[in-house]
Amino acid sequence: MIANVNEITKDQLLGETQKMAAQGYRFVTTSCTDLGEGKLDVLYHFDKDAELHNLRIKAEKGEEVPSISKIYLCAVLIENEMSELFGLKVVGMAIDYGGHMLLAPEALKTPQSKITIEQRGAK
Amino acid sequence: MNTKTTIPFGPQHPVLPEPLNLKLVMEDEKIVEAIPAIGYVHRGLEKLAEVKDFHQNVFLVERICGICSVQHAMAYVQGIESLMNIEIPDRAKYLRVIWAELHRIHSHLLWLGLFADAFGFEALFMQCWRDREKVMDIMEATSGARVVVSVNAVGGVKRDISSEHLAEIVKVCDQVNEDMKKMENAFLNDYTVRHRTVGVGRLTKDQAYSLGAVGPMARACGVAQDLRTMGYAAYGKLGFQMVVEQDGDCWARTAVRVKEVYECVRLIKTAIADLPAGDIAIPVKGNPNGEVVSRVEQPRGEVLYYIKGNGTKNLDRLRVRTPTFANIPTLLVMLPGSQLADVPVLLLTIDPCISCTER
Amino acid sequence: MFDFLGNVLKNVLSKPSTRMYPYEKREAMDKARGALGEIEINKCIFCGICASKCPALCIKVDKTERSWEFNRLKCIVCNVCVETCPVKCLHMDKAHLGPLLASEKSKYFGPPKQAPAAKASEN
Repeated sequence: MIANVNEITKDQLLGETQKMAAQGYRFVTTSCTDLGEGKLDVLYHFDKDAELHNLRIKAEKGEEVPSISKIYLCAVLIENEMSELFGLKVVGMAIDYGGHMLLAPEALKTPQSKITIEQRGAK
Repeated sequence: MNTKTTIPFGPQHPVLPEPLNLKLVMEDEKIVEAIPAIGYVHRGLEKLAEVKDFHQNVFLVERICGICSVQHAMAYVQGIESLMNIEIPDRAKYLRVIWAELHRIHSHLLWLGLFADAFGFEALFMQCWRDREKVMDIMEATSGARVVVSVNAVGGVKRDISSEHLAEIVKVCDQVNEDMKKMENAFLNDYTVRHRTVGVGRLTKDQAYSLGAVGPMARACGVAQDLRTMGYAAYGKLGFQMVVEQDGDCWARTAVRVKEVYECVRLIKTAIADLPAGDIAIPVKGNPNGEVVSRVEQPRGEVLYYIKGNGTKNLDRLRVRTPTFANIPTLLVMLPGSQLADVPVLLLTIDPCISCTER
Repeated sequence: MFDFLGNVLKNVLSKPSTRMYPYEKREAMDKARGALGEIEINKCIFCGICASKCPALCIKVDKTERSWEFNRLKCIVCNVCVETCPVKCLHMDKAHLGPLLASEKSKYFGPPKQAPAAKASEN
């Protein structure tokens, strides 16, 4: 099990992140999981002196989540990736690649969420 | 009057080992703005990991990157073992350290060669890679393959090292030590090399910490963080010493990696001298259930694995955050204000491993 | 400034450290994993363990028609099938696969199943 997980709502996200930055935590990354039925579970990992502290928020696909890139500029890459691969809408990113950071323009949308693939025609 | 031009750097460039696109906005010879773009080698490995069972995932994970392959497998296997509460034998921990440090030596020698190539010093580049061949040969003799060694498994390691091979590893370590001493002078004290690296791409300690830099990038700015001090595998018993520099420019990052090679050689020799006897693996029954975060120090920095199991033999989620992913935002701060001719040198000091970044 | 010149001169005057491949080939090392060798089809019991453990899904075993099929070009040379085979009929070759002109899949058919009484009388 993971130690030090703090479960919060997405409205408290910016406030809690500001507190983490003030206490001297380094931003590590975020992990997004698709729980099925359009629900997403996002974990934010922070580190200080080799100890991890985590914030957890639950969101729906297409729901708007504020970006923490004003507090931690380094979060801009992972937030772009989460919005492209899972369909989590993050608003206010410092650099917005517009859905084309990892995926090509003709690629399938949100490929890493739980999708079903149907075979058309016989080979 | 200053006119701005936009120059694309990459994705194919002779100095880059992997494709990375930089959009550079320039005024005369000075860079004003730089935006990196990735996405040329995205393979969707995290999605494939949900289809294979958790034993087969070890082979998938060690092929994310060729230069840091042993440490990827080590992080995954340590995560699964802590999730299933498995305690591996001591001999397996020491063997993992020996292979991991040999892999770190080969990665740093590869980087030193590429770095010399970035400012045109081809003779030094070839010399580094020729010395690296001894390390590759000993890895093939002990484990079966040169690059992707496949020695880690859930529950221990798959092969043992005989005492003749242990003596050969010690000989190779002594040779690496001697070769590094001859090349250290060329990297750190040469007049022209110093002109290209001292004072270039300076990062302060606070900038490095707030941008989330990891590995030798952070340690060259004075931020003392190295996950091997946490003591996973057998590092707690080997007396590991961190290498930290204060200047924060390209010269300091080269110095950190050169001194780390000496530290790796010392760790291998200590591990071989203290190697305990015993089993190399224990049998594993059951499936992983729950979530865990596992972190390991790769040659480029800290790698984080988030593993979520649901009681079946397939994992629910495998998330990998590699160190180059954390080091790319430092380019947004280092590049503006520097000259165009310094861009290849700056780009290589973050040690870009783009196939790790995009998985 | 000319410290490296001594090394350069020594390299110019000594013989090259590269090998003239393919005229001169290197001896394969003892424990090297080159390619999967030929299966001893008479020993195989067609249990299917190698097919289920293979990470690259390159082995197909059919118990009813007693056949073992192997796609050589998909194999990642990981050694799992050799280690888990209960009758040890698979072996790893030291030498790497040479160049091939066409993609080939090898299929081997085992001998028909003998009745246990007949087998005992042969021994």
